[in-house]
Amino acid sequence: MKNPLQLNPKDMVNTYLLFFVMHSAQIGVGVQGFQRIVFQDAKHDAWISVLLAGIATHIVTFFMIKTLEIYGANDLYGIQQDIFGKLIGNVLNILYIFYCFMSFFSILRNYIEVIQAWIFPSISAWFLAITLLIIIIYAFTGGLRVIVGVSFFSVVLSLWIIPMLAFPLKFSSINSLLPVLETDFRSILKGAKSMTFTIIGFEILMVIYPFLNDKKHVQKYAHLSLLATTAIYVAVMAVSITYYSNEEIVKTVWATLTLFSFISFPFIERFEFMAVCFWMLIILPNLCLYLWAAYRGAIRLVNIGHTKFVWLFAFFIFLGTLFVQTRIQINAINNQFANIAFYAIFVYPIVLWIIAALKKKITTKKEQKNEQA
Amino acid sequence: MNKLKYFYSPLLALVLLYGCVETNILDKVGLTTLVGYDVGTEKKIAATVVIREVNPEFQSNVEVLTTENDTSKGNRIEANHQLSKKVVVGQMRVVLFGEELAKEGLRYFIDTNLENASVSNGIYMAVVEDRVAPLLEYEYENIEDIGQHIFRLIEQNIEQEYMISSTLHEVARDYYSVGKDVAMPIIKRDKELVKLSGVALFKDGKMVSRLPATDSFYVKIVRDTFKAGLYETILHHEDLPSALQKITTDDMTVAFDAIHSKRKVTLVNAANPEFDLNVKIKARILETYPDINQGDPKSVAALEKAIQNKLAKELEKVIAQSQKVESDIFGFGEIYRGSVRHAQLTKEKWHEMYKDMKVNIHVDFVVLRNGVFE
Repeated sequence: MKNPLQLNPKDMVNTYLLFFVMHSAQIGVGVQGFQRIVFQDAKHDAWISVLLAGIATHIVTFFMIKTLEIYGANDLYGIQQDIFGKLIGNVLNILYIFYCFMSFFSILRNYIEVIQAWIFPSISAWFLAITLLIIIIYAFTGGLRVIVGVSFFSVVLSLWIIPMLAFPLKFSSINSLLPVLETDFRSILKGAKSMTFTIIGFEILMVIYPFLNDKKHVQKYAHLSLLATTAIYVAVMAVSITYYSNEEIVKTVWATLTLFSFISFPFIERFEFMAVCFWMLIILPNLCLYLWAAYRGAIRLVNIGHTKFVWLFAFFIFLGTLFVQTRIQINAINNQFANIAFYAIFVYPIVLWIIAALKKKITTKKEQKNEQA
Repeated sequence: MNKLKYFYSPLLALVLLYGCVETNILDKVGLTTLVGYDVGTEKKIAATVVIREVNPEFQSNVEVLTTENDTSKGNRIEANHQLSKKVVVGQMRVVLFGEELAKEGLRYFIDTNLENASVSNGIYMAVVEDRVAPLLEYEYENIEDIGQHIFRLIEQNIEQEYMISSTLHEVARDYYSVGKDVAMPIIKRDKELVKLSGVALFKDGKMVSRLPATDSFYVKIVRDTFKAGLYETILHHEDLPSALQKITTDDMTVAFDAIHSKRKVTLVNAANPEFDLNVKIKARILETYPDINQGDPKSVAALEKAIQNKLAKELEKVIAQSQKVESDIFGFGEIYRGSVRHAQLTKEKWHEMYKDMKVNIHVDFVVLRNGVFE
């Protein structure tokens, strides 16, 4: 087992914080409008699709942890280098860095699109991008512990949004969920696959694992956070199905935000405007974590300082926002990205585990032979 | 500290730059509070807007403008051409439709309002008898801001549950639902007043019929569960149970306050749709004329019975009328869709079936109490 990471105890984080890290990495822009995509295939059984997608994350995470445990204190990049050798391993590492980059970009661009569509139609994307990038760079330069802190506060400070789901319940009719399981299973699975873009983020575990101080409890907190995410998604989905009628949900672009558009308080007429602005806090850890994951990969390849890396990264993201302007382009990127992410996140980790387990068996046998000889 | 400066200065600059986005200063905008649409004479849509202009020095004034164009946004441009202030729609509360336009179909108006992020989903929609423009342009003696007035009128009646609720969300949901049709209040001008005069029934987003305003109570108890609503009815002498027939030789008027009403619809026959409709109303008797002894359990039971029969009869009448015009405002189709697997229900298919649907109505009326003086 080559390349284990030598970490200073000062850089380590408490394992229970993994709950906040994974949870905040999962919930982001997707939840604002995942309903229509899932509903297209799964119809009123869409909540079952969401549930199935949630179960899939548990299975994948289980294998991720198994893989990581074989190596003890190493991340995805080190594992890939070890399994596939320097050359192929590094190619895969570059691909994974590119994946992080794409993920970062699509989150950022989707959020900017929401701001432009709901509140400020006249602000250009690059201006919003710069503002967000500067905040993210600021957080990133603070190091992992600051990023984990951002995740923690992002989760805790946005807890109050969940009770807001009770308002639309007034207009809900439970009848919309019936009959259960009317859609055929294939379509439900297809709906579950459409959840990819919304539910990914938990792969951050593969990178952050060596930094956790108590490896024994990783399993517990990882699965707890997945459970929390799944519960929230299923709740949002169920409320949306009962609140909207069938055709309407397919036509609503950001169903969660439109759900909030009904809520008004004496001191704030249009609650969803608040929600849109507040969402920045929710996507902040998302962006920081992907940026950090990309950085962890980059330092394995080249000798680059973190300031230099972050400015370079931000520059390319910024360039991207200049080129992607229309909704159609954004949707095309989302779809492409979701397709890639499905294989990278839901299929690849299991394959990786099989190879890692096989390799371990072979090497231990070899070692035993060597000892005997 | 150095590092902080490094980040704070661009951030500060950006924050200041955000002040440069398009501003909406209250005394420089005209707040649209109400929009009414009619069929245009030359172009497709005639829009009448009620715009409130807030004036820092004087009392704010209300302007009513009518413009004609092919789209609703085109009408907004037209309205802007006639005003010194920018027209904004963020404070819009009510959308009204002329009867003729409602009969042509409202799909376009539902979609265009849903699409616009600055329009809340909580705005009310209603149909105006005849055309909207004369209703809004009339100079009422006692109504200063007609937009606000109509909003309060509709809001108050919906909140007190005298009228069916018709927010943009509910209208859009019913419109896009396969087993339910849209229903909206109807308003009209009555001399110096604006009043709710009925309930409009829609089929596929087109108005097909109307019910009188008093029938909105029956529509409400079948459409959903509700909490409070004052209701008055006349029990005809020949319908009264014998116990009550002794008391009076004339018709009997009863007023009650439905404290709680619950409806339950179950599909009993899927092949030829047949539903059981169970309505349970708990009420407080407010008034009976002539007086009956409400301390006597027998006469109370007789009264309950009489009201039950009356309600069942009225419900039957209302449902029959909606069946005749194939407008399922009660949502029986949704129940059907939810109970029959692989029904492949479409709007057309359901309207076909709705015509011949059978409903068995059971009303359970319970008198909880009367007033403080028997």
